[in-house]
Amino acid sequence: MEERIVKFISALRSGGVRVSLAESADAFAAIDNLGVRDRDTFRLSLRATLVKDVESLPTFEELFPLFFGSGEPPPLMNMMEDLSEEEANMLAEALRQFGQQLRDMLERLLRGEELSPEELETLGQMVGLNHADDLRYREWMARRMQRALQFDQVRKAMQEIMELMAQMGMNKQRLEQMRQLVAQNMESLREQMRQYAGQQIAENMAEQRPEDHLDGLMDRPFQALSDGDMQKLRQEVRRLAALLRSRIALRQKRAKTGQLDAKATIRTNLKHGGVPFQIKHRDRTIKPKLVVICDISTSMRHCTELMLSLLYELQDQVSKTHAFAFIDHLEYITPDFQGNRANEAIQQVLIRMPPGYYSTDLGHSLQNFADDYLDTIDHRTTLIVVGDGRNNYNDPRLEIFKKMARRSRRTLWLNPEMPMLWGSGDSDMLEYLPVCDRILQVSTLSELTAAVDQLLVEK
Amino acid sequence: MSENRAFESIETTKDDLGEQQYIAGDEISTTVFLAQQLGKPLLAEGPAGVGKTELAKAISGSLDRPLIRLQCYEGLDETKALYEWEYAKQLLYTQLLRDQLQETLSGTKSLAEAADRLTDEEDVFFSMRFLLQRPLLRAILSDGPVVLLIDEIDRADAEFEAFLLEVLSDFQVSVPELGTLAAKHMPIVVLTSNNTRELSEALKRRCLYLFIGYPTSEQELNVVRLKVPDLAPQLARQAVELVQSLRQMDLRKLPSISETLDWAQALVTLNIDNLDQKTLETTLSVLLKHETDLRKVQRQLSRMGGDEEEETDWDDELRPPRRAE
Repeated sequence: MEERIVKFISALRSGGVRVSLAESADAFAAIDNLGVRDRDTFRLSLRATLVKDVESLPTFEELFPLFFGSGEPPPLMNMMEDLSEEEANMLAEALRQFGQQLRDMLERLLRGEELSPEELETLGQMVGLNHADDLRYREWMARRMQRALQFDQVRKAMQEIMELMAQMGMNKQRLEQMRQLVAQNMESLREQMRQYAGQQIAENMAEQRPEDHLDGLMDRPFQALSDGDMQKLRQEVRRLAALLRSRIALRQKRAKTGQLDAKATIRTNLKHGGVPFQIKHRDRTIKPKLVVICDISTSMRHCTELMLSLLYELQDQVSKTHAFAFIDHLEYITPDFQGNRANEAIQQVLIRMPPGYYSTDLGHSLQNFADDYLDTIDHRTTLIVVGDGRNNYNDPRLEIFKKMARRSRRTLWLNPEMPMLWGSGDSDMLEYLPVCDRILQVSTLSELTAAVDQLLVEK
Repeated sequence: MSENRAFESIETTKDDLGEQQYIAGDEISTTVFLAQQLGKPLLAEGPAGVGKTELAKAISGSLDRPLIRLQCYEGLDETKALYEWEYAKQLLYTQLLRDQLQETLSGTKSLAEAADRLTDEEDVFFSMRFLLQRPLLRAILSDGPVVLLIDEIDRADAEFEAFLLEVLSDFQVSVPELGTLAAKHMPIVVLTSNNTRELSEALKRRCLYLFIGYPTSEQELNVVRLKVPDLAPQLARQAVELVQSLRQMDLRKLPSISETLDWAQALVTLNIDNLDQKTLETTLSVLLKHETDLRKVQRQLSRMGGDEEEETDWDDELRPPRRAE
């Protein structure tokens, strides 16, 4: 049993749930206390100790039955013994027209024989189940196993048999009964394969060594990231955000205790006869307001997404963030982030604003901004542009950008390109450059983190 | 006072909580029982108003332990959560005891000697007498076992969370002037969070986790019956069904169980015996706390309520076409 639980925990880990050693120790302590006899209590004690996130609950609920049994698949019904001799003969007659393989399968369905463990294993090997280590593949694997068993042909053949037997004069009611039974049996087999696939994948997950999920990803350029890498980085972003948060919070707190506020000190210490027992300090820091304008064209997407994730994880350290996204025109995307993770929000925005080829137009987007949203920038706002400044030879609309920069407290530009490339081809970077207070090159996550840290420093 | 009462099993936990008018499912009772058995803090997460704070109160009620509550907010720090020296009182005492001090110091030959004597008396001013106990310290120093509720921990700053870790892991604090103070009895700790921000991994690791979501209609009906017994059963069922259907809608703030109870209470107070359009319109504001939500739901309700005929029209389209002759 213990071994089973350890396996379960390691499957949870590879399913993306963070389980620490202390937590698994807690799980064992909980089980010592409550026992394993009552399945529901057992499940709840594991859940309370191992899962500390609402988002991880579904993973837990999916994996649990795969490790600790979830009732057998519905039993298969035998049709054959129920048939009268005449009917059996008719059936044999009808079956004769099919090839050996198909006939075996049909007979098996009629007899209600379930798949043996060996058969399941062979099937699994056939469809490559031993390489699957993600529960998302479960349904797909199960479907592939069904295909290997020729389920589609079987269904068609069954139809034909029914018709044939009807022609031979079989009782209609009996036929209907038979049809239902076979359908049920097929359903049971499907369920059996689904369970087997799930269990196998879970086992594979348990055996997978929790890889060190950073191996240099922090320093890999955004363009070179695969989807899998992004998945890992998304998790990393949350950790980084927590780190940044305490840094920023501390900075703000320390800044608070910076300057003596003589007036307030005298006033509060009046009750102590003017002896300064309580020193009051000036609240100097104001949380920054941010206006972020992001390029979400294909080349920039990863960078933008990670940047926005970081910013939205840090909402409590910022007084307000207005986020805008553009490709050929500009859209206000802050509402998309309410209640959504950054990657989901970006997906949503991308559905509204599908990227075309060479359609990026920053100039036009700036015009949109000036028309509709200029009032979001005031003297406390930090204006941040995330983009490569490649404008497809459109008008850069420098005058609008200057106006925006003038209105804001400071202007930052985050560019994933190397400074060497600025100004080459359709890049207008060199023209925007003098308007910005600072330009940071951010081509990797570690650079991005450093940049966000920078931009939240109050000047 | 009863001697240390504790929950005996999962079933009795459920019953004991039930006696405090708190209807606990298997999940809640199992986790509460585990928290007690393992001596771990319980972190309850979930939307606002589903009874997280109520749970702590019910635990304290059923174990007959006093509840000490620490409400978190942005900017909460140790002086508000743990302890503070009572400067004013210290000052007052030094003023009043001036003669005594004079006497103590009289006859000293050198400044150093006077300082030494003063040092001997120093403890008087830095003793428990002048220590203003805040909730955490009160929970640690209390004579009997208590239930400590740390409410809405997600509102406190991240540094406070880190500070809390230290207290929660071994229930002792060090006050530099007094030394280390350790808890006489392990309190049962309940933390609640509305999930407005991600809590730190370290804190979560130390806690047992309990997610309390919106109740099923059966559970909700039970709660309404228990807390608002005056409401007619038929009406209670209708009300709960309506609230449940509201939760399916896309609203800014979904009504919680606490809102359902307020509403049920309002229905009783207003002597309403039938949920008609008018009652709904006038009392909905108890359930929905946003103007936009309110308008959305009213629109939806008037569409559902009034035009039955339109609906049959719509049905016609869905009816299978008559078979051709």
